[in-house]
Amino acid sequence: MIDDAMRDEWYPVGLFSRLDRDGRETTLMGEPIKVALDTDGAAKVTGENGRVLPVSVRYGHIWSSLGEPRKAVFPIPEADQPGRRFVDVGVVRVRCSPLRAVENFLDIAHFPFVHTDILGSEPHTEVENYKVEIREDEDEVWATQVKFYQPQAAKSASGGITTEYMYRVPAPTCSVLYKTCPPRPGEWDVIALFVQPLAEDLCDVWPWMALFDDETPLTDLIHFQQTIFLQDRSILENQIPRLLPLDPGMEIPTRADLTSVAYRRWLKRHNYTYGAQLVAQ
Amino acid sequence: MLSDKTDTWVPVALSQDLPAGQAMPAWTPAGPIALWRSQSGCLAASADRCPHRGMRLSHGFVRGEALSCIYHGWSYSQAGRCLRIPAHPNLTPPETIRVATRSVEEAGGIVWVADGEPDGKPPLFEGYVPLRSLTARAGHSALSAAAGTKAAVEGFAWQAPGAPAIRLLPIPEETGETLIHVLVPADCGVSERIAASRAAESLRRMAERIEAEGAAS
Repeated sequence: MIDDAMRDEWYPVGLFSRLDRDGRETTLMGEPIKVALDTDGAAKVTGENGRVLPVSVRYGHIWSSLGEPRKAVFPIPEADQPGRRFVDVGVVRVRCSPLRAVENFLDIAHFPFVHTDILGSEPHTEVENYKVEIREDEDEVWATQVKFYQPQAAKSASGGITTEYMYRVPAPTCSVLYKTCPPRPGEWDVIALFVQPLAEDLCDVWPWMALFDDETPLTDLIHFQQTIFLQDRSILENQIPRLLPLDPGMEIPTRADLTSVAYRRWLKRHNYTYGAQLVAQ
Repeated sequence: MLSDKTDTWVPVALSQDLPAGQAMPAWTPAGPIALWRSQSGCLAASADRCPHRGMRLSHGFVRGEALSCIYHGWSYSQAGRCLRIPAHPNLTPPETIRVATRSVEEAGGIVWVADGEPDGKPPLFEGYVPLRSLTARAGHSALSAAAGTKAAVEGFAWQAPGAPAIRLLPIPEETGETLIHVLVPADCGVSERIAASRAAESLRRMAERIEAEGAAS
């Protein structure tokens, strides 16, 4: 049994649109689970020895937990906003800590080197100061006023623009990103990363999007995001150690990494340590 | 003589496999290393981990005389000092940001790495030139059994019927595999080199078979 506050959190365990009666065998934090539709067409998740686990269906995904979640799955208000297109991107399996996957999502400084000529390009490498806070009421990490020059910020963008971002971390393995929406100034495109922890060093990453984009074919939208995440995977599977170090000393942050610093601090404060390394080796 | 001690020279790669402007991973008993050759041809070896976010530096890229991490572009000198952090182009990185380096030397077409201050120069194999390297999914005893002789780390002579007498340098890897550098007599012609390469491949297959049988029994 996992002695960690993360046991009582919600995690994505599959796409609702792909679910059938036969169901899907998967793993949550080391425990084999089965996700299936019951006879009423509702999602059902069972753990070892047929133990019935909590279920919620939100943002195209089925969510479950090994423990007892004290709250509903975190809100994404944009999911109820008319005019948005919701995109289930699918799944990318990554041999890394689920926490490393989230931290990478919060990072913009790697864009010119890992997503070259898509999300960033040299010599536009500077990360300007931005604001980071832990919002106590919501108990979420927020980064705002994040700006970065991007050659092709989205499938709907043509030519380079300075994109503005906001990031939030509402759950230990989930992050929601808001970014400038090229066809609709004043609105934000929403890209979320839902990470299913299979083990401390293995995860399934489920990206999900809520966009103002009626024109780009679905296949192109999915392909664009998958390209980005496959580039990230080549990094995530080659970081040492695989687990995310939560104690200072093992890795060196700079001003550009303030979101990651706040994320690590927030994880540690909540004893969210599944996938973390606590003592510097 | 070579041993598992970390202050001795380890033949980690062949010179011909590391052209100018490239980086590659290598391994010594002291851990994984990033091996790279600058644009001007200087060799360098460092710990295979960027201290910023733990990314393997051997996946990085070489520009000029520096090795850059592929994740955020932090670049390092041959002496291991961080020279540039692209997210903060106007910042001079503090001297404390550095990667541990290793001694590296090139001799007779082989790249040698040592952790501490090794005594003397790496060995030279007079009359031999490197042909190629290969990795066997087999450990020391399986390779010795296949070769019919002790697969000594300082190198051993071996000859297959119809092939020239070659010299093999086996280096144990972290994974339990063995990296083998194949040296041939300097005066070998093309057909003899091909025969030597095939002989080394057959030795590798035999060692892997013995290793697999040993694991199965």
